Amino acid sequence: MIRRIWTKMRALAAFAGMIPKLFLAYRLWVWMDFFVRIFSLTVFYYFWNAVYAGGGDIRGLSLAQTLNYILLAQILSPLVQSRLPMVMGRLVREGDVGIELLRPVDFQSRWYAECMGVSATMIVIQIPLVIIACVCFEMHLPSDPRVWAVFAVTVWLGQAVVFLFDWMFSCLVFYTTEVWGLWVLREGVAAFFSGALVPLQFMPEWLERICRAMPFAQALYVPVSILSGIAPVSDAPRLWLIQIAWIVGLGILSRTFFGVAIRKVTVQGG
Amino acid sequence: MRILRYCRLYREFLLQRFKILMEYRINFLIGAASTLVLQAASLLTVWVVMRQVPNLKGWTFDEILLIYGLVTLARSIPHMFADNLWTMGGQYIRTGGFDRFLVRPINPLFHLLADRFCHDGLGNFLVGAVLVAKSSAAVGIHWTPFLAVYLIAAVISGAAIFFALQLMTSVSAFWIMESVPVTQMVFNLHEFARYPLTIYPKVVSTLLTWVIPFGFASFYPACFLLGRPAGILPWLGPITAAILLAVSYRVWLFGLRHYASTGS
Repeated sequence: MIRRIWTKMRALAAFAGMIPKLFLAYRLWVWMDFFVRIFSLTVFYYFWNAVYAGGGDIRGLSLAQTLNYILLAQILSPLVQSRLPMVMGRLVREGDVGIELLRPVDFQSRWYAECMGVSATMIVIQIPLVIIACVCFEMHLPSDPRVWAVFAVTVWLGQAVVFLFDWMFSCLVFYTTEVWGLWVLREGVAAFFSGALVPLQFMPEWLERICRAMPFAQALYVPVSILSGIAPVSDAPRLWLIQIAWIVGLGILSRTFFGVAIRKVTVQGG
Repeated sequence: MRILRYCRLYREFLLQRFKILMEYRINFLIGAASTLVLQAASLLTVWVVMRQVPNLKGWTFDEILLIYGLVTLARSIPHMFADNLWTMGGQYIRTGGFDRFLVRPINPLFHLLADRFCHDGLGNFLVGAVLVAKSSAAVGIHWTPFLAVYLIAAVISGAAIFFALQLMTSVSAFWIMESVPVTQMVFNLHEFARYPLTIYPKVVSTLLTWVIPFGFASFYPACFLLGRPAGILPWLGPITAAILLAVSYRVWLFGLRHYASTGS
C-alpha cells in the first residue's frame, strides 16, 4: 500500500519537476537569441570599421553614418521576417483554414491585426539591444522628436506593405501545400533586398533597382534611413507617397489573388 | 574489426535514410537548395562591399572568399553527418526515443548520429567547395600534392572542431531536455571566422584561437595557403581538433551517465 502511494507520488513529482526544466529551457532560448544578436552586431561593427580603414567617405556615406545605419538595420531586421507563410501552411495542412474562413471577421483584417501586434512587440523587445549598441558600438539616436514621428509612420506603412506582400506570397501555399522551401526563399531574399545587410547606396545601380522594385526595402531601408539620419525629415512626404502607392497596389492584388487561390484549397481532414 | 562493423552499419543507416528522402524528392531538393539561398545573401553582401574598397585591412576580396569558403566547407560536414546533435533534445530525449539507443548493442552516440543524415548540408558543402576552388584559382595558389593534403587535413580538422563543440554543448540536453540554445550560442561564434581575424581586437582573435577555436577552421589554414605569416598556428589545427574531440567525448559520457529518461 505505502509502496503504491510512494510510486504514485514519484510519478507526480516527475511531472512537477518538468516545469522548472521547461521554464529554464525557454528562458535559455531568450538569452541565446540575445547573445547571438550581440555577436552579429559585433561582427558587423568590426567588419565595417575595417571597410573604412582607408579613411574618407564611401558612396557619400561616412563611417559614422554607415555604422549607425547598419546597427539599426540589424537590430530592426525582425521587421522583415515573416510568420505568415508558416501560419498559412499550418492552416492548410491541418484543415483549420475552413474554420478560419467561417469566422464572422474578415480573414485578412484579422491577420493584419495580429501581425501588427507581433511587429509592435518585436520593436519593444529590441530596446536592450539598442542600449548595448549605443553604449558599446557608438550608435547615435536622434534627439529631434520630428524624426521619431516620421520614423513611426514609415515603420507602420512599411509593415503594411510587407504584410500585403506576404499575404499574396502565402497564397502560393494553397497550390504547393509545402511551405518550408517557400519560407527559406522569402527569408533569404528579404535579408538582402531589405537593406538589412548593406545600405542600398553601396549597391551597383542594377541591384539597387531590384531592391526598389521589391517591397522589403519599404519596411526596413526606408524607416532606418530616417532614424539613422541618412534621409532628411523633409523627404518624408515623398517616402510616404511611395509607401501608400505600394499599399494600394498590393492591397488590390492581394485580395484578388487570394480570391482566386482560395478556390484551389483542399481542406485536408479537419 | 569493430570499425568495419560500424562502417557496414553506417551504410545500412544511410541507405534507409535515402529511401525516406527519395520518397519526398521535392523536399530533398528544397532542403539541399535552402542553404544556397541563405549563403547567397551573405556572399552578395561581401561582394557589394568589396567592390567599393581595394581591400579589407590588407585582405583582398578573393582572399576573404577563401576564408569564407573554408569555414563553410568545415561546418557543412557536421551539418550532414551530425545534425542530430541539434535535435537530440526535442526529437529524442523529450519523446523518450533516446532510450532506444541505450538498449541496442552499438555505441549510443554512433546510433544517434547515424539515425539521420542531413541533406541540407549538401548545399553548404557545394558552396564551400566552389568558393575554395574559385578563390584559390583567382589568387594564383599553385596546387601541389602537399598543399592538397594540407587542405584536406585542414578541412577535416575544422569539421572536427565544429563537431566537438556541438557535441560538448549538446550534452546540456541530458539535464534540461533541450540543447539548441547552448549549442547555438557557441556555434554562432563561427560568424567571426568568416573574415580575417586581424580585423578584430586582440580579445576576439584570442577567443577564436584558444577558447572557441574556429580560427583553425578558416583563418589559419587560409594564411598558410596564401603564404601569409601566422607562425606555428596553421599547424596546430589537427592537434586542437584531436584534443577537443577527446574532451568532448568525455563530456558526452559524463552527460550520458546523468541521463534520466523522461519516461514517456
